[in-house]
Amino acid sequence: MSEQGTVRVYVGTRKGGYVVTGDKGRKKWRVSGPSHEGRDVYHMSPDPRRPGTVFALVNSPWWGPMVVRSTDHGKTWREVAPPMMKKSKERPAPGPDGPAKNPIVNLWHLEPGPDSDPSTYFLGVDPASLYRTDDRGESWAPVTALNEHETRSAWNPGAGGLCLHTILIDPTNPRRMYVGISAAGTFRSDDGGDHWQAMNRGVKISFLPEKNPPVGQCVHDVAMDPATPSTLYRQDHDGIYVSRDSAESWKHVGGPLHSDFGFVVVAPPAMPGSAFFVPLEGATRTIGGHGLQVQRWDERTRRWSALVKGSPFPGDFGMHREGFATDPFDPAGLYLGTSTGQLFISPDAGRRWLQVPYQFPGIQSVSVAAGAGR
Amino acid sequence: MAAVRLDAMLREFGPGGTLTTPASSVGALLEELETRYPRLQYRLRDETGAVRKFVRVFVNGKAVEGASGLATPIGPTDRVDILHSIQGG
Repeated sequence: MSEQGTVRVYVGTRKGGYVVTGDKGRKKWRVSGPSHEGRDVYHMSPDPRRPGTVFALVNSPWWGPMVVRSTDHGKTWREVAPPMMKKSKERPAPGPDGPAKNPIVNLWHLEPGPDSDPSTYFLGVDPASLYRTDDRGESWAPVTALNEHETRSAWNPGAGGLCLHTILIDPTNPRRMYVGISAAGTFRSDDGGDHWQAMNRGVKISFLPEKNPPVGQCVHDVAMDPATPSTLYRQDHDGIYVSRDSAESWKHVGGPLHSDFGFVVVAPPAMPGSAFFVPLEGATRTIGGHGLQVQRWDERTRRWSALVKGSPFPGDFGMHREGFATDPFDPAGLYLGTSTGQLFISPDAGRRWLQVPYQFPGIQSVSVAAGAGR
Repeated sequence: MAAVRLDAMLREFGPGGTLTTPASSVGALLEELETRYPRLQYRLRDETGAVRKFVRVFVNGKAVEGASGLATPIGPTDRVDILHSIQGG
């Protein structure tokens, strides 16, 4: 496991991006920022293959979406090409009734590519599409096989839009990828993105007449088990699921919980077989019990355990789907940002928690750069 | 040539203040600005060519609206203002 050193937590908020730097013990934290002040930073993505390189996805209703890149841990930033930038300057001519195709509304998630392709990154956007760059963001190409998937007419936007928000790459087989789209479900490619198939068998839908369609599921987040990549943990609008066969089928495991609605899941590298979720009340989108609580799923015992003892942080907290992160250390760190601007950190896999003493704007995303590995 | 006034927010992407243009239509003006100032590309208009929601273009004080507004002619004595609406919290 990685040697402990400086930990940087990248916090994307509705009003800019922050870097929260921690000491070796992950107990003291220093906040710097914001960058991109006043703008909606949906995701900040450090690249474990290139320490110091961080991308941020900056959305603006005035200027449209921007991709920016830092090579000094987020101190300075430079805009790179947005995904709609074509090598040709030609645009489709607006028709008499306006533009013929939907423009990109928001950028959602940027994922570094496999270790074998150090200049490759994948980008998920709204309306749901996947883009790929092989030159560190200087140019982009749409992943057409997914973006024009035969099931696309059955995809529908959730409350956050029709967004492609999750991108996972199998570390043991870099040509195998997964994406999550709300509300379309999870898709898998086994050939580097040339072909895609919907992977939603067993995941129910409560908001359509057909309860088990092949697509249309409102997946909120997916995490891959660090030791067994064929095991996936999935938080849907309609519950918590586990797949043990590379998403060929899904098993509902959230039943014992008071509620298994939620938005986030992480699977720490130091804890194979464990996934951490933050269930919310469906009606309020806040943690039940009026205080911070995190649930751990243990794949070996197939049981749940609540991690936060007592009520050290009373309140009504919600979070967005990028708002939970982990680190490569043992014991694992957990980093939870709320939609009302609190950042909670556990340095020991959820036994103890602290709140960073800074009131952030509403937090859109939390990402961690620490040592080696993702 | 027509005079073009750009609001201060645009300075982040290159131009600011007043400049002149030989463009003969609003659409041609936007193309010219994007060519002269590449960082403006996709900031005034999206990738389909539509003017962004909160960008407003006025020719002699009259708002240019919708896709058909891009064809609005510009004469040598005209004045064009490119402004941003401010909204939200």
